[in-house]
Amino acid sequence: MGLLTDIYNTVAKFFRPQEELDGDASKSVATNRLKLVLMQDRTNLTPKILEQMRGEMIDLLSKYLEMDKDMLELNFEQEGDQVALMLSIPVIRAKDEDEIEEALKAEKENSDEDFEDDEDESDDDEDDDTDVCVEDETDEDSETVEESAEDTEEVKPKKKRRKKKVTTPEDMQTSEAEDINNDAVQETTENAVVEE
Amino acid sequence: MTGRVIVITSGKGGVGKTTTSANIGTALAKEGYKVVLIDTDLGLRNLDLLLGLENRIVYTIVDVIEERCKLKQALVKDKKNPNLSLLAAAQTRDKSAVNAEQLKEICDKLKEKNDFVLVDCPAGIEQGFQNAVAGASEAIVVTTPEMSAIRDADRIIGLLEAKEEIESYKLLLNRVRPSLIKSNEMMSVDDVVEILSCPLIGIIPEDTGIITSTNKGEPIVNDENALAGKAYRNVAQRILGEEVPFLDLDEPKGLMAKVKNIWEKLKAKV
Repeated sequence: MGLLTDIYNTVAKFFRPQEELDGDASKSVATNRLKLVLMQDRTNLTPKILEQMRGEMIDLLSKYLEMDKDMLELNFEQEGDQVALMLSIPVIRAKDEDEIEEALKAEKENSDEDFEDDEDESDDDEDDDTDVCVEDETDEDSETVEESAEDTEEVKPKKKRRKKKVTTPEDMQTSEAEDINNDAVQETTENAVVEE
Repeated sequence: MTGRVIVITSGKGGVGKTTTSANIGTALAKEGYKVVLIDTDLGLRNLDLLLGLENRIVYTIVDVIEERCKLKQALVKDKKNPNLSLLAAAQTRDKSAVNAEQLKEICDKLKEKNDFVLVDCPAGIEQGFQNAVAGASEAIVVTTPEMSAIRDADRIIGLLEAKEEIESYKLLLNRVRPSLIKSNEMMSVDDVVEILSCPLIGIIPEDTGIITSTNKGEPIVNDENALAGKAYRNVAQRILGEEVPFLDLDEPKGLMAKVKNIWEKLKAKV
Protein backbone atom coordinates (compact mmCIF):
# COMPACT_ATOMS: atom_id res chain seq x y z
CA MET A 1 0.00 0.00 0.00
CA GLY A 2 2.80 2.39 0.98
CA LEU A 3 4.50 1.53 -2.25
CA LEU A 4 1.42 2.38 -4.28
CA THR A 5 1.21 5.74 -2.53
CA ASP A 6 4.84 6.38 -3.34
CA ILE A 7 4.29 5.66 -6.98
CA TYR A 8 1.14 7.76 -7.04
CA ASN A 9 2.95 10.70 -5.42
CA THR A 10 5.85 10.49 -7.79
CA VAL A 11 3.57 10.34 -10.80
CA ALA A 12 1.35 13.11 -9.46
CA LYS A 13 4.38 15.33 -8.99
CA PHE A 14 4.85 15.54 -12.78
CA PHE A 15 1.54 17.26 -13.17
CA ARG A 16 1.74 19.70 -10.32
CA PRO A 17 2.67 23.29 -11.13
CA GLN A 18 6.15 24.38 -10.07
CA GLU A 19 4.88 27.03 -7.64
CA GLU A 20 3.07 24.42 -5.66
CA LEU A 21 6.22 22.35 -5.38
CA ASP A 22 8.06 25.38 -4.08
CA GLY A 23 6.10 25.08 -0.87
CA ASP A 24 5.99 27.94 1.57
CA ALA A 25 9.51 29.01 0.63
CA SER A 26 10.66 29.34 4.20
CA LYS A 27 14.17 29.84 2.89
CA SER A 28 13.41 33.32 1.65
CA VAL A 29 12.11 34.19 5.09
CA ALA A 30 15.35 32.89 6.55
CA THR A 31 17.47 34.76 4.00
CA ASN A 32 15.75 38.05 4.68
CA ARG A 33 15.85 37.71 8.44
CA LEU A 34 19.47 36.74 8.28
CA LYS A 35 20.44 39.64 6.05
CA LEU A 36 18.88 42.06 8.46
CA VAL A 37 20.37 40.59 11.57
CA LEU A 38 23.78 40.44 9.94
CA MET A 39 23.54 44.05 8.94
CA GLN A 40 22.91 44.95 12.56
CA ASP A 41 25.71 42.64 13.73
CA ARG A 42 28.16 44.12 11.26
CA THR A 43 27.43 47.75 11.95
CA ASN A 44 26.98 47.30 15.66
CA LEU A 45 24.02 49.65 15.67
CA THR A 46 22.98 49.38 19.26
CA PRO A 47 19.52 50.42 20.44
CA LYS A 48 21.19 53.38 22.12
CA ILE A 49 22.66 54.64 18.85
CA LEU A 50 19.33 54.10 17.12
CA GLU A 51 17.63 56.13 19.80
CA GLN A 52 20.15 58.89 19.29
CA MET A 53 19.56 58.81 15.54
CA ARG A 54 15.85 59.03 16.19
CA GLY A 55 16.29 62.06 18.37
CA GLU A 56 18.47 63.86 15.86
CA MET A 57 16.10 63.10 13.05
CA ILE A 58 13.20 64.51 15.01
CA ASP A 59 15.20 67.68 15.58
CA LEU A 60 15.98 67.94 11.90
CA LEU A 61 12.49 67.30 10.63
CA SER A 62 10.70 69.44 13.16
CA LYS A 63 12.19 72.45 11.43
CA TYR A 64 9.94 71.72 8.49
CA LEU A 65 7.09 69.71 9.86
CA GLU A 66 4.85 69.55 12.80
CA MET A 67 4.50 65.89 13.57
CA ASP A 68 3.44 63.30 16.06
CA LYS A 69 6.81 62.59 17.60
CA ASP A 70 5.60 59.68 19.71
CA MET A 71 4.49 57.77 16.67
CA LEU A 72 7.82 57.98 14.91
CA GLU A 73 9.06 54.61 13.68
CA LEU A 74 12.58 53.87 12.60
CA ASN A 75 13.32 50.54 10.95
CA PHE A 76 15.76 48.84 8.68
CA GLU A 77 14.39 47.03 5.70
CA GLN A 78 15.95 44.88 3.09
CA GLU A 79 15.17 45.37 -0.57
CA GLY A 80 17.20 43.24 -2.87
CA ASP A 81 20.84 44.03 -2.26
CA GLN A 82 20.14 47.26 -0.51
CA VAL A 83 19.36 47.98 3.04
CA ALA A 84 17.06 50.93 3.51
CA LEU A 85 16.40 52.90 6.61
CA MET A 86 12.67 53.43 6.82
CA LEU A 87 11.28 56.31 8.76
CA SER A 88 7.59 56.66 9.30
CA ILE A 89 6.10 59.69 11.05
CA PRO A 90 2.54 60.92 11.07
CA VAL A 91 2.71 64.52 9.88
CA ILE A 92 0.25 66.85 11.53
CA ARG A 93 1.00 69.91 9.51
CA ALA A 94 3.69 71.18 7.21
CA LYS A 95 5.18 74.42 8.42
CA ASP A 96 4.89 77.43 6.17
CA GLU A 97 7.83 79.25 4.68
CA ASP A 98 8.13 81.86 7.41
CA GLU A 99 8.17 79.27 10.13
CA ILE A 100 10.79 77.23 8.32
CA GLU A 101 12.95 80.26 7.79
CA GLU A 102 12.64 81.13 11.42
CA ALA A 103 13.59 77.65 12.51
CA LEU A 104 16.57 77.65 10.20
CA LYS A 105 17.70 81.01 11.42
CA ALA A 106 17.40 79.93 15.04
CA GLU A 107 19.40 76.89 14.24
CA LYS A 108 22.14 78.77 12.41
CA GLU A 109 22.60 80.84 15.47
CA ASN A 110 22.89 77.79 17.63
CA SER A 111 25.37 75.84 15.61
CA ASP A 112 27.39 75.89 12.41
CA GLU A 113 26.12 72.63 11.01
CA ASP A 114 25.35 72.84 7.31
CA PHE A 115 22.14 71.07 6.57
CA GLU A 116 21.87 72.54 3.10
CA ASP A 117 24.75 70.36 2.03
CA ASP A 118 23.02 67.21 3.15
CA GLU A 119 19.93 68.03 1.19
CA ASP A 120 21.70 68.71 -2.09
CA GLU A 121 23.80 65.61 -1.88
CA SER A 122 21.06 63.02 -2.11
CA ASP A 123 18.72 64.85 -4.44
CA ASP A 124 19.40 62.60 -7.42
CA ASP A 125 18.16 59.30 -6.02
CA GLU A 126 14.48 59.59 -5.53
CA ASP A 127 12.93 57.08 -3.23
CA ASP A 128 9.25 56.68 -2.55
CA ASP A 129 9.47 53.85 -0.07
CA THR A 130 9.09 55.94 2.98
CA ASP A 131 5.51 56.34 3.91
CA VAL A 132 5.24 59.70 5.46
CA CYS A 133 1.56 60.04 6.06
CA VAL A 134 0.61 63.59 5.44
CA GLU A 135 -2.75 64.23 6.93
CA ASP A 136 -2.99 67.87 6.09
CA GLU A 137 -1.80 68.19 2.54
CA THR A 138 -2.84 71.67 1.51
CA ASP A 139 -0.29 73.50 -0.57
CA GLU A 140 2.76 73.10 -2.80
CA ASP A 141 4.98 73.77 0.14
CA SER A 142 4.12 70.62 1.99
CA GLU A 143 5.08 68.60 -1.08
CA THR A 144 8.55 69.98 -1.29
CA VAL A 145 9.12 69.75 2.39
CA GLU A 146 8.15 66.12 2.35
CA GLU A 147 10.55 65.52 -0.49
CA SER A 148 13.53 66.84 1.32
CA ALA A 149 12.59 64.97 4.44
CA GLU A 150 12.62 61.74 2.51
CA ASP A 151 15.97 62.44 1.03
CA THR A 152 17.67 62.91 4.32
CA GLU A 153 16.39 59.55 5.43
CA GLU A 154 18.17 57.76 2.65
CA VAL A 155 20.98 55.64 3.95
CA LYS A 156 23.61 54.44 1.56
CA PRO A 157 24.29 50.75 2.14
CA LYS A 158 27.90 49.90 2.63
CA LYS A 159 28.87 47.87 -0.39
CA LYS A 160 32.04 46.36 0.92
CA ARG A 161 32.40 46.07 4.62
CA ARG A 162 35.46 43.95 4.66
CA LYS A 163 39.01 45.01 4.43
CA LYS A 164 42.10 44.09 6.30
CA LYS A 165 42.10 46.13 9.41
CA VAL A 166 44.92 47.82 11.16
CA THR A 167 44.30 48.04 14.83
CA THR A 168 45.69 51.43 15.75
CA PRO A 169 42.95 53.95 16.35
CA GLU A 170 44.60 56.61 14.16
CA ASP A 171 44.64 54.33 11.15
CA MET A 172 41.05 53.38 11.68
CA GLN A 173 39.95 56.92 11.58
CA THR A 174 41.78 57.80 8.41
CA SER A 175 40.73 54.68 6.53
CA GLU A 176 37.09 55.05 7.42
CA ALA A 177 36.92 58.78 7.08
CA GLU A 178 35.05 58.71 3.76
CA ASP A 179 32.04 57.21 5.39
CA ILE A 180 30.78 60.02 7.48
CA ASN A 181 27.54 58.38 8.48
CA ASN A 182 29.06 55.20 9.73
CA ASP A 183 32.22 56.61 11.13
CA ALA A 184 31.30 56.54 14.77
CA VAL A 185 29.56 53.23 14.44
CA GLN A 186 32.50 51.73 12.61
CA GLU A 187 34.81 52.73 15.36
CA THR A 188 32.80 50.93 17.96
CA THR A 189 32.84 47.82 15.81
CA GLU A 190 36.60 48.02 15.58
CA ASN A 191 36.97 48.42 19.26
CA ALA A 192 34.76 45.47 19.94
CA VAL A 193 36.88 43.36 17.65
CA VAL A 194 40.10 44.44 19.25
CA GLU A 195 38.81 43.75 22.71
CA GLU A 196 37.89 40.24 21.91
CA MET B 1 60.19 22.22 4.60
CA THR B 2 57.61 24.75 5.66
CA GLY B 3 54.14 23.36 5.83
CA ARG B 4 50.84 25.17 5.74
CA VAL B 5 48.96 25.76 8.96
CA ILE B 6 45.20 25.78 8.42
CA VAL B 7 42.71 26.38 11.18
CA ILE B 8 39.24 24.85 10.88
CA THR B 9 36.75 27.00 12.71
CA SER B 10 33.04 27.89 12.73
CA GLY B 11 31.86 29.86 15.72
CA LYS B 12 28.84 27.69 16.26
CA GLY B 13 29.23 24.22 17.68
CA GLY B 14 27.98 21.08 16.00
CA VAL B 15 28.36 22.19 12.40
CA GLY B 16 31.12 19.68 11.66
CA LYS B 17 34.50 21.25 12.43
CA THR B 18 35.94 18.07 13.88
CA THR B 19 34.48 15.86 11.17
CA THR B 20 35.89 18.25 8.59
CA SER B 21 39.31 18.27 10.23
CA ALA B 22 39.44 14.48 10.41
CA ASN B 23 38.35 14.05 6.82
CA ILE B 24 40.49 16.71 5.20
CA GLY B 25 43.48 15.52 7.21
CA THR B 26 42.93 11.92 6.19
CA ALA B 27 42.36 12.88 2.55
CA LEU B 28 45.58 14.92 2.41
CA ALA B 29 47.53 12.11 4.06
CA LYS B 30 46.14 9.67 1.50
CA GLU B 31 47.56 11.90 -1.19
CA GLY B 32 50.96 11.29 0.34
CA TYR B 33 51.38 14.51 2.31
CA LYS B 34 52.59 14.56 5.89
CA VAL B 35 49.76 15.88 8.03
CA VAL B 36 49.40 16.67 11.72
CA LEU B 37 45.97 17.28 13.21
CA ILE B 38 45.86 19.35 16.38
CA ASP B 39 42.81 19.17 18.60
CA THR B 40 42.62 22.45 20.50
CA ASP B 41 39.26 21.77 22.11
CA LEU B 42 40.65 21.38 25.60
CA GLY B 43 38.28 19.62 27.94
CA LEU B 44 35.98 18.53 25.10
CA ARG B 45 38.21 16.54 22.83
CA ASN B 46 36.66 14.47 20.08
CA LEU B 47 39.01 14.37 17.14
CA ASP B 48 40.61 11.23 18.61
CA LEU B 49 37.23 9.49 18.51
CA LEU B 50 36.56 10.35 14.88
CA LEU B 51 39.94 8.98 13.92
CA GLY B 52 39.55 5.90 16.13
CA LEU B 53 42.68 6.79 18.08
CA GLU B 54 41.16 7.31 21.51
CA ASN B 55 42.94 4.31 23.03
CA ARG B 56 46.38 5.30 21.85
CA ILE B 57 46.70 8.68 23.45
CA VAL B 58 49.37 8.88 26.10
CA TYR B 59 50.41 12.53 26.06
CA THR B 60 48.40 15.57 25.11
CA ILE B 61 49.11 19.09 23.97
CA VAL B 62 49.12 20.28 27.60
CA ASP B 63 51.82 17.74 28.44
CA VAL B 64 53.91 19.16 25.63
CA ILE B 65 53.42 22.73 26.81
CA GLU B 66 54.13 21.87 30.41
CA GLU B 67 57.20 19.94 29.26
CA ARG B 68 56.26 16.54 30.54
CA CYS B 69 57.10 15.09 27.16
CA LYS B 70 58.66 15.99 23.83
CA LEU B 71 56.43 17.18 21.01
CA LYS B 72 57.29 14.10 18.98
CA GLN B 73 56.21 11.77 21.77
CA ALA B 74 52.77 13.32 21.91
CA LEU B 75 52.06 12.76 18.22
CA VAL B 76 49.84 9.71 17.77
CA LYS B 77 50.21 7.99 14.41
CA ASP B 78 47.08 7.00 12.53
CA LYS B 79 46.29 3.29 12.36
CA LYS B 80 46.18 3.10 8.60
CA ASN B 81 48.15 6.00 7.33
CA PRO B 82 51.61 6.70 8.72
CA ASN B 83 51.53 10.15 7.10
CA LEU B 84 48.81 11.26 9.48
CA SER B 85 49.28 11.98 13.15
CA LEU B 86 47.24 13.56 15.90
CA LEU B 87 48.18 15.89 18.71
CA ALA B 88 45.32 15.36 21.13
CA ALA B 89 43.73 17.88 23.45
CA ALA B 90 43.79 17.31 27.19
CA GLN B 91 40.43 16.09 28.40
CA THR B 92 40.91 17.04 32.04
CA ARG B 93 41.93 20.66 31.55
CA ASP B 94 40.17 23.74 30.22
CA LYS B 95 41.03 26.34 27.59
CA SER B 96 43.07 28.44 30.00
CA ALA B 97 45.74 25.73 30.28
CA VAL B 98 47.15 26.95 26.96
CA ASN B 99 47.79 30.39 25.57
CA ALA B 100 48.04 31.68 22.01
CA GLU B 101 51.81 32.08 22.15
CA GLN B 102 52.32 28.48 23.17
CA LEU B 103 50.07 27.18 20.45
CA LYS B 104 51.80 29.28 17.85
CA GLU B 105 55.11 27.84 18.96
CA ILE B 106 53.81 24.30 18.54
CA CYS B 107 52.42 25.08 15.09
CA ASP B 108 55.71 26.63 14.05
CA LYS B 109 57.63 23.56 15.17
CA LEU B 110 55.22 21.16 13.49
CA LYS B 111 55.19 22.94 10.16
CA GLU B 112 58.94 22.47 9.84
CA LYS B 113 58.49 18.72 9.50
CA ASN B 114 55.03 18.44 7.95
CA ASP B 115 53.25 19.54 4.80
CA PHE B 116 50.06 20.39 6.61
CA VAL B 117 49.15 21.28 10.15
CA LEU B 118 45.39 21.32 10.59
CA VAL B 119 44.11 22.97 13.75
CA ASP B 120 40.66 21.88 14.92
CA CYS B 121 39.24 24.92 16.69
CA PRO B 122 36.72 24.78 19.54
CA ALA B 123 33.33 26.46 19.20
CA GLY B 124 33.01 30.02 20.40
CA ILE B 125 35.04 33.18 19.94
CA GLU B 126 36.86 33.22 23.26
CA GLN B 127 40.28 32.07 24.37
CA GLY B 128 40.00 28.70 22.63
CA PHE B 129 39.40 30.37 19.29
CA GLN B 130 42.19 32.88 19.80
CA ASN B 131 44.57 30.04 20.67
CA ALA B 132 43.65 27.93 17.67
CA VAL B 133 44.00 30.80 15.22
CA ALA B 134 47.31 32.05 16.60
CA GLY B 135 49.61 29.80 14.62
CA ALA B 136 47.58 29.57 11.41
CA SER B 137 47.96 31.49 8.19
CA GLU B 138 44.89 30.04 6.49
CA ALA B 139 41.40 29.31 7.72
CA ILE B 140 38.48 27.18 6.69
CA VAL B 141 35.18 28.43 8.06
CA VAL B 142 32.68 25.60 8.40
CA THR B 143 28.99 26.44 8.31
CA THR B 144 25.66 24.86 7.48
CA PRO B 145 22.77 26.43 5.57
CA GLU B 146 21.04 27.42 8.80
CA MET B 147 20.58 30.93 10.11
CA SER B 148 22.36 30.49 13.42
CA ALA B 149 25.38 28.80 11.85
CA ILE B 150 25.63 31.46 9.15
CA ARG B 151 25.37 34.29 11.61
CA ASP B 152 28.16 32.81 13.71
CA ALA B 153 30.25 32.20 10.61
CA ASP B 154 29.85 35.86 9.71
CA ARG B 155 31.13 36.83 13.11
CA ILE B 156 34.11 34.49 12.75
CA ILE B 157 34.91 35.90 9.30
CA GLY B 158 34.91 39.37 10.81
CA LEU B 159 37.35 38.26 13.49
CA LEU B 160 39.58 36.45 11.01
CA GLU B 161 39.78 39.56 8.89
CA ALA B 162 41.06 41.55 11.80
CA LYS B 163 43.90 39.08 12.19
CA GLU B 164 47.05 40.01 10.32
CA GLU B 165 48.39 36.44 10.33
CA ILE B 166 45.42 35.00 8.46
CA GLU B 167 46.23 35.41 4.79
CA SER B 168 43.19 33.67 3.37
CA TYR B 169 39.99 32.12 4.54
CA LYS B 170 37.50 29.93 2.71
CA LEU B 171 34.02 28.72 3.36
CA LEU B 172 33.02 25.08 3.67
CA LEU B 173 29.29 24.53 3.52
CA ASN B 174 28.39 21.39 5.39
CA ARG B 175 25.25 19.28 5.69
CA VAL B 176 23.67 20.55 2.50
CA ARG B 177 20.39 18.89 1.65
CA PRO B 178 19.64 19.27 -2.05
CA SER B 179 16.05 18.09 -1.75
CA LEU B 180 15.28 20.83 0.81
CA ILE B 181 17.01 23.44 -1.31
CA LYS B 182 14.95 22.33 -4.27
CA SER B 183 11.72 22.76 -2.37
CA ASN B 184 12.91 26.19 -1.18
CA GLU B 185 13.02 25.12 2.43
CA MET B 186 16.75 25.52 2.81
CA MET B 187 19.07 28.30 1.77
CA SER B 188 20.97 27.40 -1.33
CA VAL B 189 24.73 27.39 -1.66
CA ASP B 190 24.53 30.60 -3.67
CA ASP B 191 22.43 32.29 -0.98
CA VAL B 192 24.96 31.48 1.71
CA VAL B 193 27.95 32.51 -0.38
CA GLU B 194 26.25 35.76 -1.30
CA ILE B 195 25.37 36.59 2.30
CA LEU B 196 28.81 35.81 3.67
CA SER B 197 30.72 37.03 0.58
CA CYS B 198 33.43 34.50 1.18
CA PRO B 199 35.07 32.20 -1.39
CA LEU B 200 33.88 28.61 -1.27
CA ILE B 201 36.19 25.63 -0.83
CA GLY B 202 33.67 22.86 -0.48
CA ILE B 203 30.06 21.75 -0.40
CA ILE B 204 29.44 18.65 1.68
CA PRO B 205 26.06 16.95 1.35
CA GLU B 206 24.25 15.64 4.39
CA ASP B 207 25.18 11.99 4.51
CA THR B 208 23.99 9.38 6.99
CA GLY B 209 27.28 7.67 6.36
CA ILE B 210 28.89 10.26 8.62
CA ILE B 211 27.12 8.71 11.60
CA THR B 212 28.33 5.21 10.86
CA SER B 213 31.81 6.46 10.09
CA THR B 214 31.93 8.21 13.46
CA ASN B 215 30.65 5.05 15.12
CA LYS B 216 33.52 3.13 13.60
CA GLY B 217 36.15 5.78 14.11
CA GLU B 218 36.87 5.80 10.43
CA PRO B 219 36.69 9.06 8.45
CA ILE B 220 34.24 8.90 5.57
CA VAL B 221 36.89 9.83 2.99
CA ASN B 222 38.04 6.23 3.29
CA ASP B 223 34.69 5.11 1.91
CA GLU B 224 35.06 5.33 -1.85
CA ASN B 225 31.31 5.22 -2.45
CA ALA B 226 30.10 7.82 0.00
CA LEU B 227 29.11 11.15 -1.51
CA ALA B 228 30.31 13.12 1.52
CA GLY B 229 33.61 11.27 1.31
CA LYS B 230 33.98 12.30 -2.29
CA ALA B 231 33.12 15.89 -1.44
CA TYR B 232 35.82 15.93 1.27
CA ARG B 233 38.37 14.42 -1.12
CA ASN B 234 37.55 17.23 -3.51
CA VAL B 235 38.13 19.78 -0.75
CA ALA B 236 41.57 18.27 -0.18
CA GLN B 237 42.29 18.59 -3.90
CA ARG B 238 41.29 22.24 -3.84
CA ILE B 239 43.56 22.85 -0.87
CA LEU B 240 46.34 21.38 -2.99
CA GLY B 241 45.54 23.93 -5.67
CA GLU B 242 43.64 21.70 -8.09
CA GLU B 243 40.59 23.07 -9.79
CA VAL B 244 37.88 20.56 -9.04
CA PRO B 245 34.28 21.36 -9.97
CA PHE B 246 31.78 21.24 -7.11
CA LEU B 247 29.71 18.07 -6.96
CA ASP B 248 26.35 18.22 -8.62
CA LEU B 249 24.16 17.43 -5.67
CA ASP B 250 20.89 17.75 -7.51
CA GLU B 251 18.90 14.62 -7.55
CA PRO B 252 18.59 13.06 -10.97
CA LYS B 253 16.14 14.91 -13.18
CA GLY B 254 13.92 13.78 -15.98
CA LEU B 255 11.49 10.97 -16.54
CA MET B 256 14.04 8.19 -16.81
CA ALA B 257 15.63 9.16 -13.52
CA LYS B 258 12.29 9.21 -11.78
CA VAL B 259 11.43 5.81 -13.14
CA LYS B 260 14.81 4.65 -11.90
CA ASN B 261 14.04 6.16 -8.52
CA ILE B 262 10.82 4.23 -8.27
CA TRP B 263 12.62 1.11 -9.37
CA GLU B 264 15.18 1.62 -6.59
CA LYS B 265 12.41 2.02 -4.07
CA LEU B 266 10.75 -1.13 -5.36
CA LYS B 267 13.97 -3.04 -4.99
CA ALA B 268 14.45 -1.72 -1.48
CA LYS B 269 10.98 -2.84 -0.43
CA VAL B 270 11.26 -6.36 -1.77
